[in-house]
Amino acid sequence: MSHEVMGYNAAMGLALVEEMRRDDSIFIIGQGVATGGWFGAEKGLASEFGTDRVIDCGISEAFEAGLAAGAAIAGMKPVVNMGFGDFALIAGDEIYHKLAKWRYMHGLDVPMTAVIIFPIGAMGGAGPEHSSCTEVLGMHFPGLKVVVPATAEDAKGLMKAALREPNPVLFHSVQGLGWSKGEVPLDPEFIVPIGKAITRRAGKTLTIITYGSMVSRSLAAADQLADEGIDCEVIDLRSLVPLDWDHVLESVSRTHRAMVVHEAMTTAGPGAEIAARIQERIFFDLEAPVLRLGARDFPLAQQADLEAMAIPSVEAIIAKALELARI
Amino acid sequence: MSSLTSDMIDTMFYRMAMARAIERLMLRHTRENRFSGWWHPGEGQEGAPVGATAALRHDDYLWYQGRGSAWALGKGMQPGPILGDLLGKMTGATRGKGGGVPHWADYRIGVMGEGATLGSVYPLAGGSALASKIRKDGRVSLANFGDGTASRGTFHETLVHAAAWKLPLIYFCENNGLLVGTRLGDVCPTTDIADFAAGYHIPGVSVDGQDAVAVYEVTREAVARARAGLGPTLIEAKVVRRRGHYAGDPQPYRTDSEFADYRDPLELLAARVSGNKAARLIDEAGRAVQTAYEEALRAPSPDESVIGRDLYHVA
Repeated sequence: MSHEVMGYNAAMGLALVEEMRRDDSIFIIGQGVATGGWFGAEKGLASEFGTDRVIDCGISEAFEAGLAAGAAIAGMKPVVNMGFGDFALIAGDEIYHKLAKWRYMHGLDVPMTAVIIFPIGAMGGAGPEHSSCTEVLGMHFPGLKVVVPATAEDAKGLMKAALREPNPVLFHSVQGLGWSKGEVPLDPEFIVPIGKAITRRAGKTLTIITYGSMVSRSLAAADQLADEGIDCEVIDLRSLVPLDWDHVLESVSRTHRAMVVHEAMTTAGPGAEIAARIQERIFFDLEAPVLRLGARDFPLAQQADLEAMAIPSVEAIIAKALELARI
Repeated sequence: MSSLTSDMIDTMFYRMAMARAIERLMLRHTRENRFSGWWHPGEGQEGAPVGATAALRHDDYLWYQGRGSAWALGKGMQPGPILGDLLGKMTGATRGKGGGVPHWADYRIGVMGEGATLGSVYPLAGGSALASKIRKDGRVSLANFGDGTASRGTFHETLVHAAAWKLPLIYFCENNGLLVGTRLGDVCPTTDIADFAAGYHIPGVSVDGQDAVAVYEVTREAVARARAGLGPTLIEAKVVRRRGHYAGDPQPYRTDSEFADYRDPLELLAARVSGNKAARLIDEAGRAVQTAYEEALRAPSPDESVIGRDLYHVA
């Protein structure tokens, strides 16, 4: 059997199991990982690999991230499950200085494998300190790689790539997709390369550039827009650092219209960089300004109705695409 | 009775003399307005780093933060890459990225580097210590810090786990009682950092940091404990910051009377060097440093290709 239907978090877990079997320098640390993890990705790891390599930690994110930097410099391959992307801010010095800059400032051209798992985004009322999309931070501090898988298949393939990557990777798993299922290749050499986008839907009218939780909503919007004669191309970036600019620019130079959709907040979100770059690079190929659709600039509310209002819906994507098509 | 051989004492003394020669050189270099950074003098504090590193194996991990250059020299780095970095030259340890805040590293001899955000190496040292525990490689990790940074949250976060997991980790505090110009007692309930050890159920040892041999002895014990799987030790070396926070600091917050009982660590160790060898070693160290300085002055500055180097490793 070459594929199996499994959940997004389970697919991440499968990647961990496969890589931990082939490389004994990989260990995982986080709150509750030895007991199976909060979201199930670490289920069964401790019984197979023991608590020397599957390590429960106290509530101390700065320690976990700094420990990852130190262990990686010392030649191990640490995986930290930070529990929530929001906690990047608790461990700011350790992630954006130490993991990102240690080799640069010490002049060391050496491998440094470390994977920081940041579950991001709304999950139905987790509140403003447990729902943030913090992936843009990784784009602003050179030295890190940044991925956001949108499918179970990519959750496995990108985790495999991250564990074989000689640079620190901020691995943003989408909380809302944790239990969503998909076909996942069982081939232990299946890898989704970091830095490669994928076209999820080909189209001619306009390009929707998206990633993470907004991929499925953008595809749903594209299906409905097709009924109105608007043929959307949908690109799933999969990686934000490095970002697959060639893939994006090739598409937009064909469709001449582009919009960026993400769950992260609009102001100074990843879409700001993407829109700016498209206009700098291929301004004369464009027939309309590059539009952005992200979360409204409010802390994401714990009250579930308010939470839903802040995040782009399928309807909002349709409205934005219609606006773009008519400019 | 010390376990140090006379050869070991000579090596320690020579390294300390190089550190002192670099202090003198950097003050002169700064006074001549030739320095494009901030030198944080370590004069008076050379004994603790040299004593501590003498108790480490060449492959033990050192994460430092200290003033001056004695930690790197103590672990076996040479003055060439040290001065090359201070002058921002390609011959520096960082190959062209150096400046006033040292980032000397040499993984071959366990010099893992410095965190420039003060008090930031605790979790990194915890990481290398955990790596050693998992690999069972027998290495010890030493996290060096100052009294001011014992207030950091990661001091606690790291030590609480290291103590629970019995990691081969040594917390080594150089307590000079000053946070730039603030007195430790004004911001901390105790001026004895070793007191904190009790809460972690680990040994806390206070030692005269001016006496390199005394520092060596307590570090040796901590290293033995760590290698034996007995967990961390908190060492506090009481030291004297002889100069300002940075070269040129007018120090309005200090008086000369503070130095009435000052004991120079170099002189204290000189008394243990056999015969009249001390003067010869000081002379040799001075010449080695001067030669390295002249080479650094002549060495090329980085070109634009250096700015993007060492950001991402390509397998």
